[in-house]
Amino acid sequence: MTKIKLYIPKIILTFLLIFLLAGTELTLLVQNKALTYKTFETITVQQALDEKAYSTLESYFKSRANSTGIPAEVYLNAVTQEDMKQGILSGVSEAVRQMHSPADGYAITMDFTELETSVTEFFTQYADTNNIQKDETFRQKVQANLEEAEAKILAVADTFRFGTIYEHGWFAKLRLFLNLFQKLMIILCIATAVILLCLIFCCRSRFSELFYWLGLTALISGLLICVPCLYVLLTDYFSAFVVKDLQIYSAVTGYLQYITKQTAFTSGITALLGAGSLIIFSIIQKKQTTAD
Amino acid sequence: MADKKHKNSLPVYLLTGIFLLILCIAVCIGILIRPYEKAQTYLNILFMDQNMKISPSSGLNGLVIKENNIETTPVSDIPVEEQHFYDTGEIIRPSFGEQYAVLKCDDISLSVPVYWGSTAELLERGACQASSSAVLGETGNVVIDAHVNTFFADLGRLETGNTVVLYTSYGIFTYEVSEKIEFLNTNKKYVLPTEDDRLTLYTCEAQVLGTSDNRTGVVCTLVSKQFYNPAEGANP
Repeated sequence: MTKIKLYIPKIILTFLLIFLLAGTELTLLVQNKALTYKTFETITVQQALDEKAYSTLESYFKSRANSTGIPAEVYLNAVTQEDMKQGILSGVSEAVRQMHSPADGYAITMDFTELETSVTEFFTQYADTNNIQKDETFRQKVQANLEEAEAKILAVADTFRFGTIYEHGWFAKLRLFLNLFQKLMIILCIATAVILLCLIFCCRSRFSELFYWLGLTALISGLLICVPCLYVLLTDYFSAFVVKDLQIYSAVTGYLQYITKQTAFTSGITALLGAGSLIIFSIIQKKQTTAD
Repeated sequence: MADKKHKNSLPVYLLTGIFLLILCIAVCIGILIRPYEKAQTYLNILFMDQNMKISPSSGLNGLVIKENNIETTPVSDIPVEEQHFYDTGEIIRPSFGEQYAVLKCDDISLSVPVYWGSTAELLERGACQASSSAVLGETGNVVIDAHVNTFFADLGRLETGNTVVLYTSYGIFTYEVSEKIEFLNTNKKYVLPTEDDRLTLYTCEAQVLGTSDNRTGVVCTLVSKQFYNPAEGANP
């Protein structure tokens, strides 16, 4: 009867501890991995987003040349792959800033001085060759063309779709979540410590059993996160996403895959620690049985 | 004797582990269904314009979608000295497929572009206003709908008294939610033209599997019309 009396509280405490551990693990991952500049930078490099973005720009300006008559080189010689990388990372840094502190407007910063010179030179040359008057209308057309090209380049550089996220006001929601996460982290740590103490108290008469309950906690909590992550990774779930632009596809699927891998790794270690703890428990049990 | 005792406790240890695992999986499924749907909604909105499929047989050939940059600064944020509004004013009638308004409701953090006309392709991009309904600024029923799995996912959270603002290139139109509605898709009661100024927002009833014949939404009454440009003979 006494055993049953202690057995049920132990199950309840372990059940709570499983979710607390999983929650702590995920909170830590979100805070330290999911939304950091370093993660986005790693994905930019890993997925060669600058190269893909530049190739999208190339095909856009080349196909556009057929209808406008403006050679693609006018734009492409003025914007390099390195510029695209700088643009992508500037967008990331701005997005990370938006996630942590309220700021007015989301904008990718890119230096278009060379592009302005190139486009202006082309139009001036064209006007000179065809005897077109360089009046206000001409200047407006050059300006409109330049603005259109800049808007396209900035849209292509927004590989992680932070612009859309900003337009829908989701940065404000993310900020709220991140602030909550910090408080949640403290609450989770305190709750874990309290429940752990309760579990130790329940196992005071047979301390070796603590290895069993803690092992079970870590194993189940690890498996709960690790198995779905492994399923997603092994079935290549994210590859089935339909995203038209290659650079956006690579950024999004690359990001999701990276985060899933990190989560699977962390939870896998937790599950292994749990399994280790259960093995230790069974060894102790065996030794105790032999000694008896 | 002790070895027998140990052997006896082994199934208990095993069953406890299995029981806890099953319990936790069940709890996880229960907890995660709603966030999963929410995440799917966000992904849909984020990539809607990226994964549009236009088939030649869709009957949408010739549809010209026009995006407009509409100013959405709330009236309260505009300095008083710059608030030059008119009660009556010039209405710019949109063309079919043109984004002519932005619908905002701070109470449910809703901000969605509104297109004139309603087609599957336009519904992928935002909310759609039935071209048979009144243009914003005119007297009548302004009927706007959107998908429940994207832009109007939170429409059900609107409560009586909430404010809905529609920004257009020619003015700002403020409405207040007066009634929550539910109707069958065959019932045209709420989408028919009316004599009074009202805004009807509706979407499909959310269902985990398949689509629903039921529609849910709200009817809003007009609070103010603020035109940027005056109609002839109007006073600021």
